[in-house]
Amino acid sequence: MSDAVATARKPVAWDGLRKAWAISAKDMKIYYFQPAVLIFGLVFPVAIFFAFMIGRDVKAVNLFPGLIALTLFFSTTTVAPFSVPWEKMNRTFERLLFAPVSMTDAVLGKVMSAFLFGFVICLFPLAIGLIFFGSTIKDWTALVVALVLGNLCMATMGMLISTVKADTPPKVMMVLNLVRLPLMFISGIFIAISTLPLYGRVLAWFSPVSYAADLLYKGLGFKDYFGVLTDLLMLLAFTAAMFVASVLRMKAWNR
Amino acid sequence: MDASIKVNGLTKYFGELLAVDHVSFDVEAGEIFGFLGPNGAGKTTTLRMLTNLTRPSEGTATILGMDTVRDTLAVKAVTGIVPEASNVFFELTTVANLTFTGALYGMRKKETATRADELIKLFDLEDHRKKKSVELSLGFRRRLTIAMSLMHDPQVVFLDEPTSGLDVESSRLIRDIVQDLHRKGVTVFITTHNMEEANQLCHRIAVINHGDLIAVDTPERLKQAATEAQAIEVSFDREMNADEEKGLWSLPCVSDVRPLGDKYHLVTSDPPCVLEAIYPFMSERGLKPVSLNTFGPSLEDVFVKLTAKGEGVTADE
Repeated sequence: MSDAVATARKPVAWDGLRKAWAISAKDMKIYYFQPAVLIFGLVFPVAIFFAFMIGRDVKAVNLFPGLIALTLFFSTTTVAPFSVPWEKMNRTFERLLFAPVSMTDAVLGKVMSAFLFGFVICLFPLAIGLIFFGSTIKDWTALVVALVLGNLCMATMGMLISTVKADTPPKVMMVLNLVRLPLMFISGIFIAISTLPLYGRVLAWFSPVSYAADLLYKGLGFKDYFGVLTDLLMLLAFTAAMFVASVLRMKAWNR
Repeated sequence: MDASIKVNGLTKYFGELLAVDHVSFDVEAGEIFGFLGPNGAGKTTTLRMLTNLTRPSEGTATILGMDTVRDTLAVKAVTGIVPEASNVFFELTTVANLTFTGALYGMRKKETATRADELIKLFDLEDHRKKKSVELSLGFRRRLTIAMSLMHDPQVVFLDEPTSGLDVESSRLIRDIVQDLHRKGVTVFITTHNMEEANQLCHRIAVINHGDLIAVDTPERLKQAATEAQAIEVSFDREMNADEEKGLWSLPCVSDVRPLGDKYHLVTSDPPCVLEAIYPFMSERGLKPVSLNTFGPSLEDVFVKLTAKGEGVTADE
């Protein structure tokens, strides 16, 4: 067996992570400033925030956890549903499959780029709230878990949605918004889960956004609904389940 | 010589459709192997199964002794793949496309930069180094696609229609690079529609039709299967009239007359017989030859004959 073959059969440790990072770095260069990503990931949540705020007798400080949750939800879930169908359409996704990159690493790369995009974007409304509108951090753990795990969970959700059978980004974006818009109302972003009718409160359990929003409210000094531990475990469970489902669906697509 | 690629009963069904039917062949190390067939014959499906972009329904294939399905990542680490479509990242520059490819193969930064420089020079892409791929012409984009497949110095390279639709300069450069790969001991597997290219480049050729492998042999031995398709090509000092053209058909041993621009292609299985008859034909009509050439059967003739018959003849067997 030649050296090259022997090396190919036993790749060095962390090889997969390095390749996943290369995919993320490439996605950052290509997709972060695409108009569709900026519109659906940035303009959308800001517009929705003002739609909720204007004309209501609510202090801005009370809406900031919701704005951060909305930004986290919209910005993080936008990247993969744009980049994956775009690359399938241009057949550049095949480039990843020509190389010794496992589907798990390819999906991880996509998730990581979406995670970083959402994470950085979320810091802006948080900073604005803290600096200009009197928001205060009351529970650092809850806030950090919300930003890290919440973004990771939303990134895998975006990835899973990007695996729908559609050949162009606009079609996947349509499916994405079909999922996102109803979730926005049942996940305690601007309407507290405790005030929802019974069916709303039941449905809230099935939305991963509920747990991220709950942690954000808790982190910024508001009352939580599920409790930090439940939020954390549910986000972990949703992330793992959606990641595995994404890998399986991408493998099925490849076959 | 060891086989780099071993294919054993490879079969692919798409639902009810049998796209590739129990195909078996070997490709020797360092060989340039052509895979020919009409559209929809199963060329690309075979190539995609060999590169594990599509799972075979039945059969196995090994590359450098590794199973393409079980050892898929290891196989990919030592193979380079050039698809028919130039699927470069349009939004990235030439050099960024190459360095990204290097990263996917686990290459170190310094190694990647050095190799990217080598390939940019080899493919004459220096002036386009910092241009985004969307700005490149079709030919340069194709060069970049092939360069990307060679980033990791593969031992086996799969090329799907490498020069399709390219200008002469790019086609010639790519053919030279394929020859150079062969000199370095790299095994090259090419699917192409370009018979002349296959004739010039390939050591052996396989012909596939309707998913069946109908011939595997060297180009010259394949041509022997079509001796009836030899030809005399002649051009005259003046244009012939209709009667004179009809006269060409009555020459002995001529089975077909094909006007080609200012020339006539007289198809025959016996060129000396036609040569004997053509001089009296010319002197009787006051015609003088401007050029007179004999041609053996072309690979195209063989291809047409084989694919038209679709019979199971494997010259290798």
